[in-house]
Amino acid sequence: MKIPTPIITLIVGVALAASLLFSSMTAVSAKKAANAAAAASAAANAGAASTATAAATSTASAAQPTGVGASATTARSPSASPSPTTSLGFVIPPHANYAGKVQGNEGSVAIVVHDNFAIAYFCNGSTQEAWLKGTPHHGKLSMTGKNHASLTANYALGHARGTVVVDGISHIFSIIAVHKPSGLFQSIAVVRGATIKAGWIVLADGTQVGSLEPNANSADPSAHAAPKLDVSSLTAQDGGTTLVATPIDAETGSGF
Amino acid sequence: MAAQWEPPAPTRLDPVQPATSARLLVVPALVGCLVALTLGIYGRLHSPTGVAVDVVGFSSPATVKAWLATVAVLFAVVQVGSSLVMYGKVPWISAPSWIGGLHRWSGRIAFIFTVPVVVHCLYALGFQTFNARVLVHSIAGCLFFGTFTVKMLALTRRGMPGWALPVLGGLAFALLVVIWFTSAFWFFSIFGFRR
Repeated sequence: MKIPTPIITLIVGVALAASLLFSSMTAVSAKKAANAAAAASAAANAGAASTATAAATSTASAAQPTGVGASATTARSPSASPSPTTSLGFVIPPHANYAGKVQGNEGSVAIVVHDNFAIAYFCNGSTQEAWLKGTPHHGKLSMTGKNHASLTANYALGHARGTVVVDGISHIFSIIAVHKPSGLFQSIAVVRGATIKAGWIVLADGTQVGSLEPNANSADPSAHAAPKLDVSSLTAQDGGTTLVATPIDAETGSGF
Repeated sequence: MAAQWEPPAPTRLDPVQPATSARLLVVPALVGCLVALTLGIYGRLHSPTGVAVDVVGFSSPATVKAWLATVAVLFAVVQVGSSLVMYGKVPWISAPSWIGGLHRWSGRIAFIFTVPVVVHCLYALGFQTFNARVLVHSIAGCLFFGTFTVKMLALTRRGMPGWALPVLGGLAFALLVVIWFTSAFWFFSIFGFRR
């Protein structure tokens, strides 16, 4: 039986979509494998933060998958490593909020870029967390925080990717742009002489992760899990203290 | 087997009017609904990766998609024009013999150009609702592929009512323009024509 041509059109479309989807998935999963290897080497080098970062980025770039060719378009893998050539010409938004989990689900990271200043927060909902500051430069970020925390990232319209090093452990991330009510929230309060600083990352799916530094002014502040942030009232109950959170938002510039 | 053969109940065929029935649209419409729902639900449930395969020669996925969508809309304009000529709606042009081929091929090309765009949208970005533009774009995107499926399936059936194809084609075109307006037009108006 002869297949009618409109059906062939549909079949060709579905086949093209499937091949593109498949090549996207292999590109992303190959990147995940590279990141797992990088995370392993990072863990081995824990303590020597700079070595870990170098190992992570080099492993990721060495393991770049070769693209699966699709019929209408030539496919290639998205570049996993920050390289200057691929970032050239990307659309760089002046204001952007990014949030997402790091590879391996060992925490979440949020980056907020507002004109020529950027704030980032990494947190695993427990003891590991870091606030970072930096200056964006043509779609590139190099940020630093207390206790040798560092973050390097490339960002463009819709997504950001890079590496964050906290407590000597390197995490690779590829995160997307988020909008209210998702994003980064911060609360600073002075209770009996101690500065309490809490941070929450609300992800695109509404889940949140937060940590609290009971004594934020120390050089290496310790942290524990933050109480749940009520996203509608922007408050959280820490024992008897009500913490009031401020969104760190690129669009309004609040928190900067 | 004691069943006895019985002659079929006599049916009276009307010899004057060809049998047209809108009921023939039921199955294509259901398949189209299924396509639209599948895309929407996948886009909502799948957590967006932020990345997918890139296309060589462009600076970022957003620019690739804006240009692919623009090309698709241009071919879709050819679609509407050629169908108007085919249906004899343009009085001063008599349909040339190649108009059917032009209509079919412009449609195929337009459709193929939309496929990489929708794959990137659904895989990397997902069905999003954070503002009116994005919500309208997400809904129209799902509906477009549903409508296109209905139109393709409807083409294979004989005895459709005369309004079926113009309505489906017009709907697909309108949805494509809404999609383009809420994405590529928005993109170009903010970031300028860039590659």
